[in-house]
Amino acid sequence: MSTLLELEGLTTSFPIEGKLVPIVDEVSLKIDEGKCLALVGESGCGKSMTALSILRLVPRPGVITSGEIRIDGRNILPYSVPQMRAVRGDDVSMIFQEPMTSLNPVTRVGDQVLEALRLHEKVSKKAAQQRGVALFKRVGIPDPEARFRSYPHQMSGGLKQRVMIAMALITKPRLLLADEPTTALDVTIQAQIIELLRELQRDFKTAILLITHDLGVVNQLADEISVMYAGRVVETGPRQKLLGSPSHPYTKGLLAALPSRALPGQPLFEIQGTVPSPKDWPEGCRFRGRCAEAREVCAASIPRLQDNPPGLTRTACFAREESP
Amino acid sequence: MSEVLLEVEDLCTWFPIKKGLLRKTVGHVRAVDGVSFRLEKGKTLALVGESGCGKTTVGRSILRLVEPRSGRVNYCGKDLLSLDERGLRPLRQEIQMIFQDPMTSLNPRMRVIDLVAEGIDNFGLATSPSEREDKVASVLKRVKMSPDQMGRFPHEFSGGQRQRIGIARALAVEPSLLICDEAVSALDVSIQAQILNLLGQLQDELGLSYLFITHDLSVVRYLADEVAVMYLGQIVEHAPVERLFTSPAHPYTQGLLEAVPSADPNTEAVRVAVLGDVPSPANPPSGCRFHTRCPQVFDRCPVEQPPVVVLPLGSARCHLLSDDGEGS
Repeated sequence: MSTLLELEGLTTSFPIEGKLVPIVDEVSLKIDEGKCLALVGESGCGKSMTALSILRLVPRPGVITSGEIRIDGRNILPYSVPQMRAVRGDDVSMIFQEPMTSLNPVTRVGDQVLEALRLHEKVSKKAAQQRGVALFKRVGIPDPEARFRSYPHQMSGGLKQRVMIAMALITKPRLLLADEPTTALDVTIQAQIIELLRELQRDFKTAILLITHDLGVVNQLADEISVMYAGRVVETGPRQKLLGSPSHPYTKGLLAALPSRALPGQPLFEIQGTVPSPKDWPEGCRFRGRCAEAREVCAASIPRLQDNPPGLTRTACFAREESP
Repeated sequence: MSEVLLEVEDLCTWFPIKKGLLRKTVGHVRAVDGVSFRLEKGKTLALVGESGCGKTTVGRSILRLVEPRSGRVNYCGKDLLSLDERGLRPLRQEIQMIFQDPMTSLNPRMRVIDLVAEGIDNFGLATSPSEREDKVASVLKRVKMSPDQMGRFPHEFSGGQRQRIGIARALAVEPSLLICDEAVSALDVSIQAQILNLLGQLQDELGLSYLFITHDLSVVRYLADEVAVMYLGQIVEHAPVERLFTSPAHPYTQGLLEAVPSADPNTEAVRVAVLGDVPSPANPPSGCRFHTRCPQVFDRCPVEQPPVVVLPLGSARCHLLSDDGEGS
C-alpha cells in the first residue's frame, strides 16, 4: 500500500493581536491509497484549517509558515497557481459541511457538477452530461435526469449533500477531503451518507480524510484516527486501538464524556474548563490546564508524539512517557 | 403515584400557506397534528425526531409563542389555551424555555446581570437593586458561574458559558418546568457533558421538570425518564426510556436507533433501515405518515391511519401492532 498524502510538520498561522499564531501547529499525518483517516477534535482545534491547507486554500490573512505537504512524495507547497489547479480536482477534492451554503443557488445543480469536469477534462457537453447523470445515479439521487436540472432550493439537505459528493467525485480524485459531511443532516439521512461514502471508498478506491467532531461517525468510516487539540495532533492510531484503549488524557476524556457511555443516574465524565482560544494557548502542553494528570514538565516543554507499547496508539503526553 | 404537572391533549398547530396577490390561504402545514402526552412533576420527558417533525412547535405551542389551532394544554389543572394574555402571565413565570443557540438567544448589548435579571424585573421579584443583584449572584452560582462576571457581555464568554447564562436566565424566576429546545446540540462533547450534568443536578436540587426537545438520541437515553418519538407532526411511539431503547416497537423508532453511529469500536456498523427523505408536512402521505419510508409497509398502511396502540409499556401508532393488524 503506497502513501498518497503525507503532511510533515505542517504549520498554518494567523496574525492575532500583532503576532503570528500557529492555528495548525506542526501537524504530521499520512494517508495510504484507498484508506480513511479521521481528523477528530472540538471546534477551533484546527482540523478544518488543516484540510484547507492541503488544498492551499487557507483564507487570508492566514499563511502556511512551514512544513511539507506531499502528494505521491512530491511537495506541493512550491507549486504555481496552474499546477495547484491541477491538483485540486484531479488529485484532491473537498466536500463541505453545509450543502445549503456551498452550492450556488442560482445555477442548476447539474451545471455546477459539470463545471469541474469541463475544467479538468476535454469532454463534449453530451458526454459530460451522461457522466454527470450516471454519477447522480451512483450517489443515490432518485430520478437523476430530472434532478440534474433542479436548483439547490428544490432539494432536501440529504440530496444536496449527495450533489456535493457527486461534484467532488466527477473528476475521479484519489483523495476526498470530507469536512463534517454529515453534521448538518438528520440521523437517518446521516446513515445513508455514511453508507454511500463507504461504498464509494470501496468501489473507486478513493482515500478519505474525514474531518469531524462526531466519534460515532468516525467509528463507522475510519481506518486510522488522529485527535487534534488546540492546533496539535495529541494522539494517533488505528481506529480499534484509539477508540478502544485510548491513552491521551484528552482522548480518554472525550470518549468518557459521551452520553452513550454513561450509566443512567451517574453523572457524565467532565473535562474541566473550556478550550482556550488561540491567543490564550498555554506554553508547553496546551491541554495541561484541563488535565488531571498535569505535572511540572507539561508547562516546561512541548510533548511530542511517542510510540506507546506495541499495538497501541502514538501519544503526545508526558504522563504516558513516565508511566505507560 | 406522582403528580401530573403538564398534560397535553390532542394538540394541533397548523401554519397557513398563503399564495397569490390576496394572500389567500391555500393549505396548511400541519406542524403539530394531534399530539398528546403527560409530564410528571420532577421528571424528564424527551421529545425526539428529525428536523421538521414538529417537536419545536410543540414546545412553542405550550408557551403559546405560536397559537395552536385546537387541543388542550393543562398545567396544574389550568388550561393554558383558554387563558387570555393576562391570565397567562403568571404561568409564563412557571414555565421557562432554554434555546439551542446561546449566541443568538442572548442580546449582545446587554450585560449578564441585566440578561439574567430581565425576568426578575418583569415579574417584580426584587424590591431593591441590591436584592436584584443578590438574586442574580445566587442564580449564577447555581449554574456554576462566578458572580464577578455579571458585568460582562455575552461575547466575552464561550459557548458553554453562554448556555449557562441562558439557564440562569430561565432559573431566575424560579420556574417548575423548563422546556429545553436542543439545549446542548450546539455544544462540543466536553462542554455538553458539563451542561447535562448541570441540568441533572438542578433537577435534583430544585425538583424541576424538563420537556427536553432534541434530535440526539444518546442524550435522550442518558437523561430522559420517558420518550415521545415524533414523525411529521404526530407522536409515533411513547415509552419509558429503557423500553424504548431496548425494544423499540415502531419501525421508525427502530430505524432511528439503528442509524445512530456508536463510538464503541466493537459494535456493528450503522444500518440504513429508513430510506429516502422526510416528506413535506404540507402534504403528508395518506394513511400512516411513515409508510413511504417504512421497511415493513403493507397494503393497509397507505389507506388507513393507524390507531394509537397501547402496549404493556407505552404506546405506538402502527398497524403492525394493532390486534386486527396483519403483522406478518
